[in-house]
Amino acid sequence: MALAYRLARAAVARLAPVLVALSLIVFSIVHMIPGDPAVIAAGLEASPATVERIRRDLGLDQPLAWQYARFVTRALAGDFGVSVRTGAPVGREILDRLPHTVVLAAGGVLLAVVVGFVAGVASALSSHVLVDRLLTAVSLVAASTPSYWLALMLMLVFSVGLGWLPAIGVGSPRHYVLPCLALGLQSAGAVARMTRASVRDVLTQDFLRAARAKGVGPRRVLVVHGLRNALLPVLNLVGLRVGGLLAGTVLVESVFAVPGVGRMMADAVVARDFPMVQGGVLVVAAMVVVVNGCTDVVAAALDPRVRA
Amino acid sequence: MPPAPLARLSRVPWRRLLSCLLALSLAACGGGASPPTAASGLGDRLVFAAAADATTLDPHNTTDTESDQVIMMVYEPLLAFDDAMKIVPRLAERYAVDPDGVTWTFHLRPGVSFHDGVALDAEAVKANFTRVLDPIANHKRLSLFSMIDRVEVVDPLTVRVVTKYPFGAFEPTIAHVSAAIVSPAMARAHGKAFGSSADAVSGTGPYRVASWKKDQEIVLERFDGYWGAKGATRQIVYRPIPEAAARVLALESGDVDVISRIPAADIPRLERRDDIRVAKLPGVGAQQFRFNLAKAPFQDRRVRQAISYAINRPAIVKNLVASFARPSTSALTSIMRGYTNLGEIPYDPAKARALLAEAGYPKGFRTKIATTPRYPMGVELAEAVAADLKAVGIEATIEVFDWATMVQFWAGLPPEKNPQEIFIMGAGASTADADWGLRPIFRSARTNENNYGYYANAEFDRVIEAAMRETDAARRQALYTRAQQIVYLEDPAAVWLFDTLYSVASRRAVTDIRPQALGVVTFERATVRRF
Repeated sequence: MALAYRLARAAVARLAPVLVALSLIVFSIVHMIPGDPAVIAAGLEASPATVERIRRDLGLDQPLAWQYARFVTRALAGDFGVSVRTGAPVGREILDRLPHTVVLAAGGVLLAVVVGFVAGVASALSSHVLVDRLLTAVSLVAASTPSYWLALMLMLVFSVGLGWLPAIGVGSPRHYVLPCLALGLQSAGAVARMTRASVRDVLTQDFLRAARAKGVGPRRVLVVHGLRNALLPVLNLVGLRVGGLLAGTVLVESVFAVPGVGRMMADAVVARDFPMVQGGVLVVAAMVVVVNGCTDVVAAALDPRVRA
Repeated sequence: MPPAPLARLSRVPWRRLLSCLLALSLAACGGGASPPTAASGLGDRLVFAAAADATTLDPHNTTDTESDQVIMMVYEPLLAFDDAMKIVPRLAERYAVDPDGVTWTFHLRPGVSFHDGVALDAEAVKANFTRVLDPIANHKRLSLFSMIDRVEVVDPLTVRVVTKYPFGAFEPTIAHVSAAIVSPAMARAHGKAFGSSADAVSGTGPYRVASWKKDQEIVLERFDGYWGAKGATRQIVYRPIPEAAARVLALESGDVDVISRIPAADIPRLERRDDIRVAKLPGVGAQQFRFNLAKAPFQDRRVRQAISYAINRPAIVKNLVASFARPSTSALTSIMRGYTNLGEIPYDPAKARALLAEAGYPKGFRTKIATTPRYPMGVELAEAVAADLKAVGIEATIEVFDWATMVQFWAGLPPEKNPQEIFIMGAGASTADADWGLRPIFRSARTNENNYGYYANAEFDRVIEAAMRETDAARRQALYTRAQQIVYLEDPAAVWLFDTLYSVASRRAVTDIRPQALGVVTFERATVRRF
């Protein structure tokens, strides 16, 4: 109960100021980059009169401050406006796509944590230098592989070469395997490296030696005292990487043709579809803030020192 | 190094734990094996990977080919292009024009019904033209039909369209995808939302829209009430894959049956594969570098001619774009109505230098080339052009922009606001006719409207206006020949580089797809063999 309350309070306290600042930044940026949404929506064969009418219909001929005020007041009422390109309500477009992005991001985080943590612990505890070196090398390569390239390679090997998994689209759980791998493997590499360092560090601490001296069994020392403490920096890292992971969905969703929010934003930027960009960025940013709030609270639950 | 007392920790069965966890995480993401595909025979489903989702399925509002090619399966205009780009009757059984050149009478095909069950009649046709021309509704294709004065219902199956002046390109305009006839009842019921979802669509075409999940798939289902030859495959699925490399991989892995917008570098490799077929056909598309005539020294036609002669087109085509291009032979492409073959512009650097000297630039000058990677090989082409220009003394720096920025430079600006000097441009008139391919683009105007280089030539203006109102085929052709001579050779508006071949790749099991010169592919008769 206390944990749930803390979670909620942390989320709200952070969310409000971040969203206010963010809405202003996003609004300024989309209007600063060159490109006129009315022109793009009209197409190259359109007459200037048509472009002018579209601009008026969208309210893009109004002063920027007025446009921002309108955007904020409507957004507060849950209305993010309509897409410049298709005329569809932005809120509904995001809700339709959000589940795909959430599944992808959750799968990516799960993969990063499970694979990264296990590999990191194994690497730290391995008595064979070779195993440690190998795992370290693999995690370094994973951490430095761009998700875009990795996505195409996974497709080449597992879809074109071996024919095990579908290359693109959604529809069954199998469709998410390759995108989750492409999205999560980089973070898994980073988590593995952090875990290895963290476990090695914890293992040299006096309190572990003391526990061992008290007669606590080796597995209990490792799991209850060692890993619990080694988990803290890893948890913080994962919290930070969620933002990067969600940013990665922009590329991964585009490559694997997953109809998620990331791909929607990528298309919207190309078309200068301002309402879609604003809505998408605000929703994703809110997710990052919430997740970070959650990791902080969980970290506090794990570590008495953070609680104060 | 872990301290000694903890060494025994490593006896934890890590290997087993690791494999268990891996199996678990895979199972969580994964699932069972895929069910085996149906027994051999004709498949009832063809999957096409589009480059993007359709923006709208409202023909009066479409401006992109990804939407067009779905609309062409679902709706039909009164006239249509056949595979040889000849205009043939479609929803009209026959049609005729009065000697006055402005009154067109269409006799509708009887027994045609929309997907919503309503019968096609003259009132429906009239309602369609009223809809697309409604200035309040502001459909994007309004300007395409601005020559129409009024539409009259003669009897339930006869409709008369009267134009404001004799209009030589009337037939291709009526065969345009945006002249497709929608169910008036459906259009009224949905208003602005018509064409934005599967249940807000109704045409007369061989396929109807069964479902549309945005950015995921559009499923078309054979329309059993179709008046003509029924679709060969029960379902046609459009699955947008924005990433070009992924589109190719999806075709190779068999996830999809047909793809378009193939990256230039992948075409030769796909052509070598036994299980894939690549169809390439000349289309309406062409690539050029346009001059901004509001900037010195491009007002001087000798400078523009010099630049045109300085470009080694055969080398550019052979080295950069051989897999999808043929050197240009006119300002229009070979399949367009009104095209005249004026031959390739020869590569003649000596003549280029002489012309530059004559124009007062014996040592050349400095300029800049604007390009965008949106066009295939856009940046490489600019580099090749710059290298050729350097050989005759012209120093060109290259500026690369994204599409939205590029379009911003072009759209309706007065000359003093447009900073570009030489800029890349793709042509592709969606009526496949000389009028739409020349008039909006090169007729002089105060702002650049669609004349993005502020091209101005008095004789060209006169000829193009006369051609627009000319309905006699021979006289019309003579006028367009003259117009092309002016804009391509005598007073060039651009460096005409090459005509683009439209390419579509499909798996061998697929037959009878219809790639069209307009840069779209349709599947009315397509079949898929399943093994």
